[in-house]
Amino acid sequence: MLRASAQVTTIPLDPRAITDRSVDPLLPAGEALLDFVDAVLTGDEASQEVTREAVAGELGPSGLVDAAGVIANFEMMNRIADATGMPVGKGTLKRTAEWRELIGIDRFNHLGS
Amino acid sequence: MPFAFTDVEVEIRSNIRTLFRREWDRLALAGTWWSGAERGDIARAARHGRFGGDAQPSSLSDGAIEAAAAIGARPAAIRREWVERVANDLGYPRYVEIVGVTSRLAAIDTFHAAVGTAREPLPEPEPGEPSRSEEPQARPGAAWVPMVGGASITQALSLVDAESTAQEDMHGPLYLTYEGMAELDYVGGLSRAQMELVAARTSAINECFY
Repeated sequence: MLRASAQVTTIPLDPRAITDRSVDPLLPAGEALLDFVDAVLTGDEASQEVTREAVAGELGPSGLVDAAGVIANFEMMNRIADATGMPVGKGTLKRTAEWRELIGIDRFNHLGS
Repeated sequence: MPFAFTDVEVEIRSNIRTLFRREWDRLALAGTWWSGAERGDIARAARHGRFGGDAQPSSLSDGAIEAAAAIGARPAAIRREWVERVANDLGYPRYVEIVGVTSRLAAIDTFHAAVGTAREPLPEPEPGEPSRSEEPQARPGAAWVPMVGGASITQALSLVDAESTAQEDMHGPLYLTYEGMAELDYVGGLSRAQMELVAARTSAINECFY
C-alpha cells in the first residue's frame, strides 16, 4: 500500500528506510514517524516520550493519534497474518517484486518457507 | 469508565474510545467457543507472554495458554506444524477465537504505549455460555486455518464470524475501513503515504511480510 500511495500521490519516498534506518525516507515527518514506531515497539518509556513529542510537534495531536492507531492496527493484523498462515497472493508477489528486493523483506521467512 | 485517557496529553478520538469499550464488553462476555472467564484468561496469558510478570491461575489448558502467549509475544515465530498441533488439541474454531482475542488485545495495549498511558485493567467476566455456532461455509485452503472464501487477510478469522466482525470493527477507527483502503490519496491526521510508512515499519519490526 505504501508503494501504491506513493505512486498515486507522487510523494518523494525512499522505501529502503523501512528496513534501513540510515536511509532518509524523504517523506515529510518520515524520520519522526519511524523513530516513533521504533520507540513504541522496541524502546523504553523515555524514548517513547521523546518521539511522541516529536511527532506531535511536527504533525499535531491528530497526527500523533493517527500514528498510534496505525501501529496498533498493524500489531493486530501482523498477528492475524502470522497465526493463520496467510499466504501472499501471486499477483501481489509479482507487483511488489522490485520493492521487496529494494527493501529486503523477503528475508522475513514468511510462513516459515 | 474504562478508556477515559484522562492522563493523556492529546485528545483521543471518541470513535477510538468507543471501539475499545466495545472490545472490552466483547472480551468480558462469552464468545463463540470460549466463556467470558476463559476469554479473560486468554487475555491474561497473552499479556503474560508479551510483558512477563507473574503467571496467573488459569482455567485454560496448557495448549490454549501456549497459543495465547505465542501470538501475543512472538507471532513471527509461529509455524504451520505448531498451529496444527495446537488446533488438534483445541479445535480450529477455538484456536481462531484465541487469535482474534489476542490480536485485538495487542492492538489496544500497543495504542496505550503509543499515547503514553498504562494498560487498561482487564474487564471482569460476565456469566454466559459460548454460542458454539459453526460456520458451515468455512473450508481448508491455502492458509493454515479454514476460512470462508479464498485466503485473504480480511477473511482470516471467518471460521468464527464474531471474531471476523470484531477484526473489521477495529480496522476502521485505528487505520481505515476495508473500503477506505482503496483511497490511496486519503489525508487525515497523517497523509496516506505517512500512514503506510508507519504500517510498513511496524510490520518490518514484527518481521511480518504484510
